[in-house]
Amino acid sequence: MSADVSDLSLVRRVQRGDKGAFDALVLKYQHKLVKLVMRYVRNPAEAEDIAQEAFIKAYRALPQFRGDSAFYTWLYRIAINTAKNALVSRDRSPIEYDLDRHSDESYDMQGRMKDSETPEGLVLTDEIRTTVNAAIDALPEDLRTAIVLRELEGLSYEEIAAAMDCPVGTVRSRIFRAREAIDRRLREVFEGGLGRAEELG
Amino acid sequence: MNEELDSQLSAMFDDELPPAECELLARRLSRDEALKARWGRYAVIGAVVRAERGVRLNAPLAGRVNAAISAEPALGNPVVGQPRPAGLRWWQPLVGGALAAGVAAASVLWLRAQGPLTTLPLAAQHRAGAPAAPVLDASAGSLANASYVTPATPALRPMLVPSTQLANYVVAHSMVSSPVARRNLLSSFITSEPSPAPEAQDPKDHASRTAP
Repeated sequence: MSADVSDLSLVRRVQRGDKGAFDALVLKYQHKLVKLVMRYVRNPAEAEDIAQEAFIKAYRALPQFRGDSAFYTWLYRIAINTAKNALVSRDRSPIEYDLDRHSDESYDMQGRMKDSETPEGLVLTDEIRTTVNAAIDALPEDLRTAIVLRELEGLSYEEIAAAMDCPVGTVRSRIFRAREAIDRRLREVFEGGLGRAEELG
Repeated sequence: MNEELDSQLSAMFDDELPPAECELLARRLSRDEALKARWGRYAVIGAVVRAERGVRLNAPLAGRVNAAISAEPALGNPVVGQPRPAGLRWWQPLVGGALAAGVAAASVLWLRAQGPLTTLPLAAQHRAGAPAAPVLDASAGSLANASYVTPATPALRPMLVPSTQLANYVVAHSMVSSPVARRNLLSSFITSEPSPAPEAQDPKDHASRTAP
């Protein structure tokens, strides 16, 4: 399978004037981009602002994107430049932030300091994380292995098939069934969370 | 929701769907909000598995980007500053094609109209305007003689220049031209006249013309 085909098909649609296709690209990469920008700024809300700016810059520059590189690689460069420019414009030095140096607990505390402004959002994020992890734990072994090799290790279906000694079609089916099982429980959280947010608002 | 569609969506998310299916699904994904929401949840699942801590999984980032992009002009639109009414665009290529076809048709008709005159010898053209050939008929006075048959020339058209004018021109030209040039003109006039087709020629007529 040629790399980046799905992104490229969405990109081509955006280039022809389909803004809905850009939504799909944002939904797919928003978490990765925010995590990337958080190497430069600790504050999650600030990282989201920079990520938003990067997405808008990417949209405006998309007519010049020819597909020579993967879309995410191109987006990655835009986000890095946007983050650096944001720091320069605020007359600050980039924070040398190494994720590996920090434990999960301290990292969570940094996030919580900002998220304390939106407790509902913090609770919902924790609930999402707990639900997904619980759903993954409840998966049959073959489905859990397939989804983890894909999402955590980033292996292709062919590589997973080789690792699990099964056909590529089986890998595709296992990953799909794993996602469906997790999504059934995740959907309830999103719908319930949105309901609670509306009640608070 | 269709299980096959969801399976395709999962494979597309992993960049493992064949390109042709990707094109079709990308089209549907960009318009189907339920499908897009599922796509977004697949991204959340990936973020949790990768333990992307500090990232708010319910952040309204996508909605904010969507709102900002909504205010932007859609890509692929014509350049602003050259406004053209949308209703006029569709038939402009047709008009161009029709004009080209019309010019081509007129050219063909004109060439067909001019063709025989330019390819036939001058004498043949002259004779086409004058059905009888009295100068060649030895039995003068019998112009209405049915034995003299002029070969049919269906391809010939009436001359653009009347035969009398042409004759007058030749005579007038011979008055001022040098003898050599006059001979050349007359000889070319005579030699260019085609002989009638043998099968169309009456033997009697042939005999009458060859008689001394």
